Amino acid sequence: MEKSLDINAIIKHQRNRYPVLLIDKITHLVPENSAIGIKCFTYNEWFFPGHFDDEPNVPGFIQIESLVQTFIMTFLCKKEYCGLKTNFVSINNIKFKRKIVPGDVMEIRATLKSFKRGVAIGRSESFVDGEPACSADFIVAVPQILDQFKPKA
Amino acid sequence: MDNLELYKKAFIDTFMVEESDLPALKYQAIPAWDSVGHMGLMALLEEIFKVELDIDDIIEFSSYETGILILKKYNVVLG
Repeated sequence: MEKSLDINAIIKHQRNRYPVLLIDKITHLVPENSAIGIKCFTYNEWFFPGHFDDEPNVPGFIQIESLVQTFIMTFLCKKEYCGLKTNFVSINNIKFKRKIVPGDVMEIRATLKSFKRGVAIGRSESFVDGEPACSADFIVAVPQILDQFKPKA
Repeated sequence: MDNLELYKKAFIDTFMVEESDLPALKYQAIPAWDSVGHMGLMALLEEIFKVELDIDDIIEFSSYETGILILKKYNVVLG
């Protein structure tokens, strides 16, 4: 069943907060499968004056963070994972295809390939005006779940 | 590569250690073998040897040497 989530629902499911909550809406969600998210960039973002003062554009690390925050919604949307913290294990195959500037709306399509024993593997691709913007492969861990599989000391 | 070589390679690739480090290698003995590294190693061994490890065995798998005994339970003979 496809669902959509507004910002209040996103805040309920994941632990990122201002100024690093970098998705505004989830428009389509298939739990443990895929998610489509939206991030709107306004000139009022904290990073534009510094990147760069004469040519504001979205830094790569912000784009990657938006991509992964959409990605983690594919499993954090489940009741048993709601509100859990996550951390990066690896980011691979990153591509930046175009500059993103104030006024742009980035659509992010995330796919969860597998989620087993607290390790999520998948990919996100983003688009602005229908054109590819950024993409990356992710491995993300949920430490609270991993702790259940820790070897005995 | 035989099974033992594959097993060694899994540790070497996951933890970036030398082969000479393997016999004494234990969970948390090196920074790379933390809970995340442990799950990465388990996933890689499952893929290489086409097995699915029980939760109890994942928890018991606390060293290079212990792992050899655990994989024997899954008919994976090393060396």
